Amino acid sequence: MKTYLGIDVGSVTTKLALLDESNELLASIYLRTRGNPVDMIKRGLEEIGRQMPLDSEVCGVATTGSGRTLAGVMVGADLVKNEITAHAVATMSCVPDIRTIFEIGGQDSKIIIIRDGVVTDFGMNSVCAAGTGSFLEHQAERLNMQIEDFGPHALKSSNPARIAGRCTVFAESDMIHKQQMGYPIDDIIYGLCQALVRNYLSNVALNKEVRPRMAFQGGVAFNKGIIRAFNEAFQTEVYVPPNNELMGAIGAAMLVRGEMGNNGRRTRFKGFGVSETEFEISSFVCKGCPNLCEISQISADGKVLSRWGGRCDKWERVETIR
Amino acid sequence: MVKVCIPRALLYYQYYPAWKTFFERLGAEVIISPPTNKTILNLGVSRAVADTCLPVKLFFGHVMSMMGKCDYIFAPAVTSLGNKAYNCSKIIGLPDMTRALIPECPAILGPEINLDKGRYHFYRNIYDLGRYFTSNPFKIKKAVEESWRSNLAYQGKMSSEGLTPVEAIDIMCHGRQEPDSGPAPSLSLAIAVIGHPYVIGDDYLSHRLIHLLESMGVKVLVPEMVPEGTLYDAAKRLVGTPHWSFETDIIGAGEYYMEEGVDGVIDLSVFGCGPDSMMVNFVQHRAKELKIPFLHLSVDEHTSDGGLLTRVEAFLDMIKWREKICV
Repeated sequence: MKTYLGIDVGSVTTKLALLDESNELLASIYLRTRGNPVDMIKRGLEEIGRQMPLDSEVCGVATTGSGRTLAGVMVGADLVKNEITAHAVATMSCVPDIRTIFEIGGQDSKIIIIRDGVVTDFGMNSVCAAGTGSFLEHQAERLNMQIEDFGPHALKSSNPARIAGRCTVFAESDMIHKQQMGYPIDDIIYGLCQALVRNYLSNVALNKEVRPRMAFQGGVAFNKGIIRAFNEAFQTEVYVPPNNELMGAIGAAMLVRGEMGNNGRRTRFKGFGVSETEFEISSFVCKGCPNLCEISQISADGKVLSRWGGRCDKWERVETIR
Repeated sequence: MVKVCIPRALLYYQYYPAWKTFFERLGAEVIISPPTNKTILNLGVSRAVADTCLPVKLFFGHVMSMMGKCDYIFAPAVTSLGNKAYNCSKIIGLPDMTRALIPECPAILGPEINLDKGRYHFYRNIYDLGRYFTSNPFKIKKAVEESWRSNLAYQGKMSSEGLTPVEAIDIMCHGRQEPDSGPAPSLSLAIAVIGHPYVIGDDYLSHRLIHLLESMGVKVLVPEMVPEGTLYDAAKRLVGTPHWSFETDIIGAGEYYMEEGVDGVIDLSVFGCGPDSMMVNFVQHRAKELKIPFLHLSVDEHTSDGGLLTRVEAFLDMIKWREKICV
């Protein structure tokens, strides 16, 4: 059986999805990156190798997410794609009448506008990470609570507190103030969810034509409080697709299936043995000019696979990947 | 020989050939600061008020990098170039800000250029500037005339040959070879990049956006490739008489290129630019009306270009998808 692997290396989590030729999900894994993408990619590959059916063969690998270049070099990807295209492709295949996608991840949030099966517009958060998963996580930590418990608390709220959502610093001082005023924790948490959605709509979704049907995906879509806030903001149900957290990886796998099918290339995938390889990531400061660029390089078995991070081509990739 | 330094920042990208001619005709040696690098950025950021935009901070960095290497720093206050259109207040206040923030700076040549105050005011200020170098009024007059001619030649070169300001300056002033017009690579998309020339032209600030787009097979169009009159008319059609000097460049170029039917428009602006925050909205609304893909990129001090790359890649995918070139 021919299968296709998508790897989505995000800032907070790493996702892998293995699809067969009819886009059926055969195996998947969702891991926290914990600042160590190399180990997580290796662990993910190991897990996929264990889960995949015996008679199957990987015929194409694609990487996406902010760590896509690194992951692509490590595993030998056939396609390195940005996460916006990957998300759009995946969602369109499972929700054909989709017109708006909200995607909120660990460090960035996006909106994708789709009309008649084509992406017509998109937006991403501009300068700050207010209104993303890491902000919620930070607040959960401060309230001494697991992020998984946020949803149930938010659903219990009947009189949400008004929290400023423009900036995380202001939101935090607002929350502390409301706490000291004696607001119940449920109302504060749901107030925070509403603030996040308000900020998302007035920042990322500004000037975008938001029309149903809408899908909400990415790690933050696990949070029932945010879903409730979205539903209330639009007075309609926002759909959370199954496997919402894997959408980027699924989309990447679908894209590489199309790519490999079209030109009959052989995959460059290095095999699941990659999880045994010792990768070494190091960085150095290039002293060639006053820019002092920080160059990162990845090597395996003493051989440099790739370098990046420079403002010029001096240290450009050793092995070029498409 | 008296050395005049022109910082490679802000209005350098629009008027360098004219300024260079002017000072050289008056017998001065013109030197420019090196291209923006991290040291220059750090120098600028260390002095500037936090609220100013990055290009202005870079200007101070460029001034500081030339300390002790010249007799004069040229930092004009280009208030208005006529038609009741004004520059940003930070450009108007440039000589005063430079003097206040960098007290140890060499003498600043900071004439006020305000064509709205009439010809006499302009001539008087240019004459006063020329007096630093000569007491012969005819020599100053001749320098001004030649300076004007180089300005026209510079603008003409960009619009007739489709060059960016940096390319045109390289060829006209730095003796760079003309790019040989061999077989042009097949470029599938034409994209207009609009924004201030001092943002688009500065490789450090723009994260080499033009180079990036060209490497992805895009034909890049910038405002300077169109004659100024044409841009002015386009801006006037869309928003009426411009209030900001840069409206001609940004709104005008956006409108002109969209009418010409480009595949997409990218606006590159720096975080915290007041005039841009208003101008860009006009272009964005117009793009929506004409159903032309529009991408707004905002840059600041960050050194990582991952976010920029993701947006540009997704934008090109979207355009190809719409035009069914396939992803």
